[in-house]
Amino acid sequence: MNIEHFLKHAPKCVVESGEHSDIVMTTRIRLARNIANIRFPLSFSQQEANGVQEKLMKALLTPQEQLNFSYFKMADLSQLERQLLVEKHLISPYLAKHKEVSAVFLSSDESTSVMINEEDHLRIQVLSPGMQLMETYEYASELDDRLGKQVSYAYDEQFGYLTSCPTNVGTGLRASIMMHLPALTMSKQMNVLIQMMTRLGMVVRGIYGEGSENLGNIYQISNQVTLGKSEREILEELQKVVEQIIEKERNARKKLLERAQVTLDDRVNRALGTLRYARVLTSEEAASCLSSVRLGVDLKLIQGISPSCLNECVMLIQPGFVQQYAGTMLDAVDRDIYRAKYVREKLDNDSLITGEKGEETYDV
Amino acid sequence: MICEHCKQRHASVTVTKVQNGQAVAKHYCEHCASKFHPFQTDIQEEPVALHQLISNWFGVPMWKSTQTEEKKATQSTCPSCGFTYRQFLKQGKFGCTECYNTFRDQLPPVLSRLQAGTSHTGKSVVISMEQLKQKIEEIRQQMQHAIAEERFEDAAKMRDEIKSIQHKLDAGGVDV
Repeated sequence: MNIEHFLKHAPKCVVESGEHSDIVMTTRIRLARNIANIRFPLSFSQQEANGVQEKLMKALLTPQEQLNFSYFKMADLSQLERQLLVEKHLISPYLAKHKEVSAVFLSSDESTSVMINEEDHLRIQVLSPGMQLMETYEYASELDDRLGKQVSYAYDEQFGYLTSCPTNVGTGLRASIMMHLPALTMSKQMNVLIQMMTRLGMVVRGIYGEGSENLGNIYQISNQVTLGKSEREILEELQKVVEQIIEKERNARKKLLERAQVTLDDRVNRALGTLRYARVLTSEEAASCLSSVRLGVDLKLIQGISPSCLNECVMLIQPGFVQQYAGTMLDAVDRDIYRAKYVREKLDNDSLITGEKGEETYDV
Repeated sequence: MICEHCKQRHASVTVTKVQNGQAVAKHYCEHCASKFHPFQTDIQEEPVALHQLISNWFGVPMWKSTQTEEKKATQSTCPSCGFTYRQFLKQGKFGCTECYNTFRDQLPPVLSRLQAGTSHTGKSVVISMEQLKQKIEEIRQQMQHAIAEERFEDAAKMRDEIKSIQHKLDAGGVDV
């Protein structure tokens, strides 16, 4: 499959819905692995880098492999193509940056990617819609075992799977849950909750990577610890924390509806107006309006817009996608103009599919 | 090694100087090194604050500790990638898998700061086909020895072991 297949649309897991998908957007499992007797990417030679790539091509591009992977070397992709893969969370910014040695295997449904020569030789990543920690892990673990038969992993009786960074050693597992938490953010409970989660060994980050904080009220919650706990314990602990947050968010939404329905109704519909009619839209404004509209849809204050369209827009408002839509590189000012146009079109198309009429009869 | 200056105490500080384009290593004890004027400034120039920061974070004594044993350990170099323990503290990352062996004794305090424990309790690794083949080769060699030494009972056991591994290997090849 060629690279275009992976660049046009938001991945399936973003558009589909899963358990608790009004609050939990996606589940992501990442396993870090290295090959025995080859130095880590931090200190290996170009020759060793090529060796890793070849070994994995032999292991993954076989007719027996169920996942039907496509293989791309980062050096063969354009800057925009790499950026799009990063914005889709199919590869990490780190992989895109180290393009001389790195490559990626993508499954055709985009649920699975195997990054080669990131910080470690292998980073197996599986994305699922909604909250599906155990299922997603099992899936990743099966691929891990299939691969482990083909290549010898670096493993130590005491330290487990060896990784370049001691923060990944042991299980090499990082599980992340992407959550939309507008009510907790609005009611200013997030700071306290982030502190609580940090104390419980969780890491909280924004959707668009480190430093993006809570753009669009979307938070990524993941485990910090990888050694001294089994995979199951790690996943169960994360599951418990996330379930509590879901409940708190539900309560906060209920309270908002009870106490300030008119204000909330006004806010979410104004946001929808902005997205429908704005001619210039910065990514911050777009993210915050999308969050409000999403809340409106979840609370049934807004009809006729599908959550999947909104999930897609959350991804499409990023600079790479806007430039792909425009078909040319743009400066920040032009990007805001094209972004407005892109979101407008997406929402118009969506109401054609879901039926604008529904909304009018509801209003009457 | 004995200090090149006082010729009394144990040398624990290595100073490399470039003289006429050639690197010359000198070995001094703590006491002389700190007194010896030109080197004192050399030592001062090291970005001490930075490792101190990271060392403190990792909960490991600074490299300039008084215990010589600690010093020896922090000066050890990974034979495979050339990483030193100080380099690890600076970057927070290892260069290769061999580093885990080289610095094995120093790791538990580092890991207990970052992690929930110092040993792996999760899933264990699957054995690759490559490793199975190596194993067969190993046993085959042992078997040859056994035969040469007329330990035929042992050899028979080894032959069975090879068979069972070979069986696993064939099965693995199919169901992968």
